[in-house]
Amino acid sequence: MSTVLKVGAHPPVFHGEGLFYDGQNAEARPIDLSINEQRGVLLGEGVDWPLDKIRQVHDVAGKDLVILRHRDDPAARLILTDKTLLARLPDKDRSAPIARRGRLAAWALGALASVALILFVLVPLMADQLAEYLPPEGEKALGEVTLRQIREALDDSGLQPIAFCTAPEGERALRRIETRLTAQMDPAPELTVHVLNHDMVNAFALPGGHLVFFRGLIDEAGSPDEIAAVMAHEIGHVISRDPTRHALRSAGSIGVLGLIFGDFAGGAIVLLITEQLIEAQYSQGAEAEADVFAHDLMLRADLSPAALAVMFERFRTLAGGDAEGFVGHFLSHPRLGDRIAAARNAVPDGFRPIPLLNPVEWRALQGICDVDAAF
Amino acid sequence: MDTSPGALAQAEITAQEQRGTRLSTLFTGRRWPIFKLTFVTGVLTVLTLGLYRFWQKTRVRRWYWSAIRPGGHPLEYVGDPYEKLLGFLIAVVILAFYIGVVNLLLMFASFSLFQGNVAAYALSFVGVVPIWFYARYRARRYVLARTRWMGLRFGLAPGAWGYALRALWHWFLTLITLGLLWPRMTFKLEKYRTDRTWFGDHRMEQGGSWTMLFWTIKWHLAALGVALVCLPILGAGLVPLAIFGFCLSGLLLVFGAVYYRVETRKRLTGEKRLGSIRLHLKVNPLRVFWILVSGYALSLLVAAIPTGFLLVLFFRLQSAETLTEIGMDEMSQILAGADRWALVGLTVMSYFAVFLLWSALTQAWVTLPITRLYARGLTVEGAQALPAIRQRPRDEHIEAEGFAEALDVGASL
Repeated sequence: MSTVLKVGAHPPVFHGEGLFYDGQNAEARPIDLSINEQRGVLLGEGVDWPLDKIRQVHDVAGKDLVILRHRDDPAARLILTDKTLLARLPDKDRSAPIARRGRLAAWALGALASVALILFVLVPLMADQLAEYLPPEGEKALGEVTLRQIREALDDSGLQPIAFCTAPEGERALRRIETRLTAQMDPAPELTVHVLNHDMVNAFALPGGHLVFFRGLIDEAGSPDEIAAVMAHEIGHVISRDPTRHALRSAGSIGVLGLIFGDFAGGAIVLLITEQLIEAQYSQGAEAEADVFAHDLMLRADLSPAALAVMFERFRTLAGGDAEGFVGHFLSHPRLGDRIAAARNAVPDGFRPIPLLNPVEWRALQGICDVDAAF
Repeated sequence: MDTSPGALAQAEITAQEQRGTRLSTLFTGRRWPIFKLTFVTGVLTVLTLGLYRFWQKTRVRRWYWSAIRPGGHPLEYVGDPYEKLLGFLIAVVILAFYIGVVNLLLMFASFSLFQGNVAAYALSFVGVVPIWFYARYRARRYVLARTRWMGLRFGLAPGAWGYALRALWHWFLTLITLGLLWPRMTFKLEKYRTDRTWFGDHRMEQGGSWTMLFWTIKWHLAALGVALVCLPILGAGLVPLAIFGFCLSGLLLVFGAVYYRVETRKRLTGEKRLGSIRLHLKVNPLRVFWILVSGYALSLLVAAIPTGFLLVLFFRLQSAETLTEIGMDEMSQILAGADRWALVGLTVMSYFAVFLLWSALTQAWVTLPITRLYARGLTVEGAQALPAIRQRPRDEHIEAEGFAEALDVGASL
């Protein structure tokens, strides 16, 4: 029962046919449609839809059908094959208002808050507690796993992990530095010192007494005492179990971050975490403690704590030179100046350091990566 | 007049179609539009750090649903990206706790007791398995609740934990029988889902029994047979022949997997009932196999272009670093400028381009043709009973497919 109303020549009279799903029964009813210009509505049997409340259903495959719905009716649909009606629908592309906006916002906030709570409170708190109870063998294994992950992540070729540098003479020199320091400690910590063949100017400690130097740091150092100072600092971290806490924290965090960012960004996040581990940005307090530990250990080993200051200054010049973004920002932090001053102040008046390595040994250490460890 | 059984059956089908009691399914989607849609929404997803993926999923589904038209009437997907986002957030709140705290504890226990992380990964995996089945059922419930045909809603009754428990039990049975009871699992789980599926106010039913699926594992058995025959051949020293045999066995195994999926679906669909309405599915497993092989081959070939570009860029970056290493600092200073950052930017962009292109290509060359094949093979019999079906109320389902999304379960599309 179609209603065709006579109206003026402008706009042209619309008359069309289509199918109507009433949203009540599984039935497609053929329908004749027309526009009542006075009321501004689309009329048909069972249809009385104001033109400005009609919406078009988008992303329809095939382009042969026009599917229309009424803004306030979730189920009824009009299916047309004729596109001329579209020009008469002013708001056909307007999107539906966001339903339950309040609940969406509440959950979004809740999700953010709970993730933040887990990442920044719960996981660190648990990691700090658990680190105390991790038995030495477990700690060592954790360090080994982390070291392998870091070596794989830093490798650019994607073929094999970064190699260790193991030239025998160089190793012996490194061992001398280690013994000079650990001889002053009671009980002597169980350490494993590695040199990685990578040009990064950095060193870090891993759980279970693994100390890792990059070739870049050994290349940049001006004297064996500077290497010893860095080593003493890292031993400080090992003693206070900073790396263990750090590794446990990231074990808890990686999964959560992967969960949020999904596949696409997941890989990038894991890389970022690895970078974090290497940078080992412990709290300012932990760094200061490790510094104090290093000053004390250096003095007991008859070495000058000022060597640490020299090394920090080298970092600062390097970072100032070609500011390596992230690292540069961290190293140019004003606190570094305080740390340099603290190291200099730790030298007592009239202190006479006893030399650490002879020139031959020092050259051997600097060439520890020369005999390639590819075997 | 032709009175052969085939011709008579054909005449009957034609007569049914003229009476409107038998509906065949049209599929109106084409490759280029879905390629464009997937690619463009993929770019938006990358640009929004993954946030747009809820919109992407909604739009791609809307497109596919509207392309599938039983009796010429398009399906409609009315899922809302915002509710997907909400569901995801809900799942994140719950799962973040599990993944953060439980994994940390497992990691600690595993390193303390076993000096390694294998135990932690294994336990963590085992803990997720039931949630995984739960998530699959919930996701299916959401998708069905947001699917319409002729203006009527589909629905899936609640029962996700029941499904997860049954799935675990059937997996256990399948594993201890070395896979022989796999068809039984397929049937039982499909029956559980189908018997809880509604169209309007009518409930679907899965008829038949699991034994009707048993012989669908015949190609697996054939693959096993060929491999077993090859063992004595290898023992006799005929190495090339044995290798050929093993390759054949591997190929049979892959085909067997495709055959199993297609054939079980056909048989299960043929036994589904909605009141007096019946479904019929006609698909050739060999065609599905061919689409998979040719589609992935073509996609690989085309996706190789940006991958090659990426590799070239990568080597240029590498060589810039090598210059520094061999002491030619002045050279690297020049490269270190804007050019260097442009290179890094290009590398990152082509890295994403490879991903995006791959997903769009496989959508156009694999997902679309396979969906089309299934859609066109589907017929609805007894359609005269349709007008008697009435609407069902809306299923709110606030957490949508959040768990599936968070756990990346990959619920149908």
